[in-house]
Amino acid sequence: MIDLLWTNLDYAASVILFCIGLYCVVTKNNLIKKFIGLNIMETAVFAFIVALGVVEGGDAPIMGVGASAPFTNPIPQALILTGIVVAVSTTSIALSLIIRIYQHCGTIEADELREME
Amino acid sequence: MKRALTVLLLVVVAIPLLYAVAQLPPHGSPTSPAYTHVSAYYLEHGPEEAGAENVVTDVILNYRGFDTNGEVTVIFTSLAAVFAVLLGSRKGDERLSEEPTAHQSPVSDVVSFIVRLLAPFIAMFAIYVILNGHISPGGGFQGGAIIAALVIVTTIIVGRKQAEAMVPIRIRRVLHVAAPLAFVSVGIAGLIMFGNYLEFPKTESLMWLATIWLIIVEIGIGVGGAAIVATIYWTMGDE
Amino acid sequence: MPASALLVSVIIVPLLGAVLTPVVGGRTGKASGPWAFGVMLVTSAIALALIVHVANVGPFSAYLGGWEPPYGIELRFDEFSASTAVICLLGTLAILFSFRYAEKELPTERIRYYYTLLLLNLTGMIGFVVTGDLFNLFVFMEILSLSGYALVAVSGEHTAEMAAFKYLIMGAVSSLMVLFAIGLLYALTGSLNMADISVRLAGAAKAPAMLAVAALTVGFMVKAALFPLHIWLPDAHAIAPSPVSAVLSGLVVKTGLLGMIRVYQIYYGAKVLDLSSLNMVLVWLGAISIVMGAFFAIFQEDIKMMLAYSTISNIGYIIMGLGLASQYGVIGATVHIFNHALIKATLFLGAGAIIYRTGYRNLTDLRGIGRSMPLTTAAISIGAISIVGMPPTAGFLCKWYIALGAVEAGHPIFGFALVFGALFIFVYYIRMVNTFYFLEPVHPEILEVKEAPLSMLVPVLILAALCLVMGVLGRIPISFIEPAVIRMLAPLGG
Repeated sequence: MIDLLWTNLDYAASVILFCIGLYCVVTKNNLIKKFIGLNIMETAVFAFIVALGVVEGGDAPIMGVGASAPFTNPIPQALILTGIVVAVSTTSIALSLIIRIYQHCGTIEADELREME
Repeated sequence: MKRALTVLLLVVVAIPLLYAVAQLPPHGSPTSPAYTHVSAYYLEHGPEEAGAENVVTDVILNYRGFDTNGEVTVIFTSLAAVFAVLLGSRKGDERLSEEPTAHQSPVSDVVSFIVRLLAPFIAMFAIYVILNGHISPGGGFQGGAIIAALVIVTTIIVGRKQAEAMVPIRIRRVLHVAAPLAFVSVGIAGLIMFGNYLEFPKTESLMWLATIWLIIVEIGIGVGGAAIVATIYWTMGDE
Repeated sequence: MPASALLVSVIIVPLLGAVLTPVVGGRTGKASGPWAFGVMLVTSAIALALIVHVANVGPFSAYLGGWEPPYGIELRFDEFSASTAVICLLGTLAILFSFRYAEKELPTERIRYYYTLLLLNLTGMIGFVVTGDLFNLFVFMEILSLSGYALVAVSGEHTAEMAAFKYLIMGAVSSLMVLFAIGLLYALTGSLNMADISVRLAGAAKAPAMLAVAALTVGFMVKAALFPLHIWLPDAHAIAPSPVSAVLSGLVVKTGLLGMIRVYQIYYGAKVLDLSSLNMVLVWLGAISIVMGAFFAIFQEDIKMMLAYSTISNIGYIIMGLGLASQYGVIGATVHIFNHALIKATLFLGAGAIIYRTGYRNLTDLRGIGRSMPLTTAAISIGAISIVGMPPTAGFLCKWYIALGAVEAGHPIFGFALVFGALFIFVYYIRMVNTFYFLEPVHPEILEVKEAPLSMLVPVLILAALCLVMGVLGRIPISFIEPAVIRMLAPLGG
């Protein structure tokens, strides 16, 4: 079990990063900090998927002159390019919501906002 | 108390997660299913079938082009969302009608000079990255991000009013949809000429057309992405 | 036009319509509403043609870019994808309903982006139900989620913005879980096409496959707002503008359930895991959802809050039917996805019309409204009868099928939970109808308000009529969906 985990250390690291992010989302009081927690989770998932594409000794998958096998797996990279764009879009929406909440309520602490309701 | 409980809960969740990822095919192995199934096909046939030496570009623009079509729609969605949340204020809401007390701090001459000096080179680099996406690392998204960064630093030194005046609002509205429009027009061209949406020419004699289409899409993504990111920055800067 | 081209255009037409909306809107943005309405009419026509085609020849595909799966992205239109028709119908009516709403309530600058987001949301849902590729499903899920967050906040009230933020955090975490599961499945199979994954998953390691199904289930159940993952729903659905509430409650939560059906299609076919314990958990949570949703709804004063809690109990019915994994249960659940969309849209749009005319949302304030807005309240009453599940309305047959499914699966006890929940639901809808017609008004001016304007009344009446028609013709959707359910459950039989 432990030696299996050792070969898949990259995946294990992403799982731990995912949990750290989730911890921030659940416990932090400040909305921006909550959101940074979400960004950590996003990074964890992206790192996990990119790590799936790694091949021992692999080269960038660009078939120019002088390129030689093995190449790394291009699919995870392409997927994560999409993932990053989605993450950026989510971030922009969240930030604009936070801006508005701050303008209306004068605070972005979750507990103070709850009291105002 | 809440924190301790959360940590405990997350440890309980993490153990089965770790157990499961440990049993995935070993990291970096060239015999894993992820490497031997679809991606082996892409690596073998990508450059001659899909029109770009960079296989990642083949995947995002050709083999899985529809995903990227959806992806540019996601960026456009974020723009519409930011506008829908930030533009205007609710009818009868007085608190927002007063002008925000924005005091602009003066920009140092050094920063201003360096940005002006570097701007043409940054623009040049962005164009290079966009146009060479099919043969080298890079592509529309990366180049678009560079252009957007350039617009943002320019805004910092010349102020928002002047920066925005460079592109009138009518033209900006068209630029925002450049990426989805480039995709849909190439897609429909493929549908008419070859029978499938987003089908690129596959024969040797038409490879030049495939390359042109790839470049059209890359430029659309680059320009459209940059316009959207810059506009989001401006809109947020308003508040 | 070949069927594959038609299948692509059902996504491309609303997508193109959406991105052009801000440009077409003109200087004031006034033109964007009729434009969006026209786009949805065209899309509805395409969707109808597709359904006729699938009823004649069975499921069919379109290969995007001409690449055969698993190398390219496949769009696959099967009987479950026929929910496209409901999406188009509700979308069209919600846009029509929005005309007057947007004019009165929204800041002028936001109007064109309101319609853009509504169209993008519908595009995302259509893409979600017709795609045959797991990652493509994720991309469309993000389009519909992101536009959904913004639509909740579009009215500009600070409570709406807070509800949208809560929705965003939970929605984004659930999307990440789905993405994580997609990564796991990709690592195990090397493919992203759902049919191909199902084939190649057969020999995969058990633990990661189980983790993937768990992550997908949790992710989709957050989207579907199953108890205890429902906490974002009441605020978001109650505070959003009424046409948006109708779309969110009628359609967007259902995408979580349709996603779950896709997961079942992959895993039942692969036979790599025995999902019966997971299903048992889902059935229990479904039963708890039914009772809890109904229980909380009883205590709500706000009419839209009450409807939002009622969505939670109806999601419970559907999950229970899916989790029973018996033929009757799954058929009932699938048809209830369609019917609940119609019913809940009737109720939310009707409530929206009343709020538009009176400005009141609390039941006490709305006493006596039945006398001044007779058509709207009649439509709401039809919706209420349907949602309780009385024959001969749309709600009856599917709940009956789910109860039969419980007996068929050997758990008649859940049949009782279902009937018990229906009683609860009956109580609070009776309270609502009673308030409308029989109690003395608190505000005398409520007797003076006019009937809803035509652009609001027509959608409400069409939907209410459909609630009745679907009750009488309830056999048609059941016989339409039956072959797909039999195909899905076939691997379990042996």
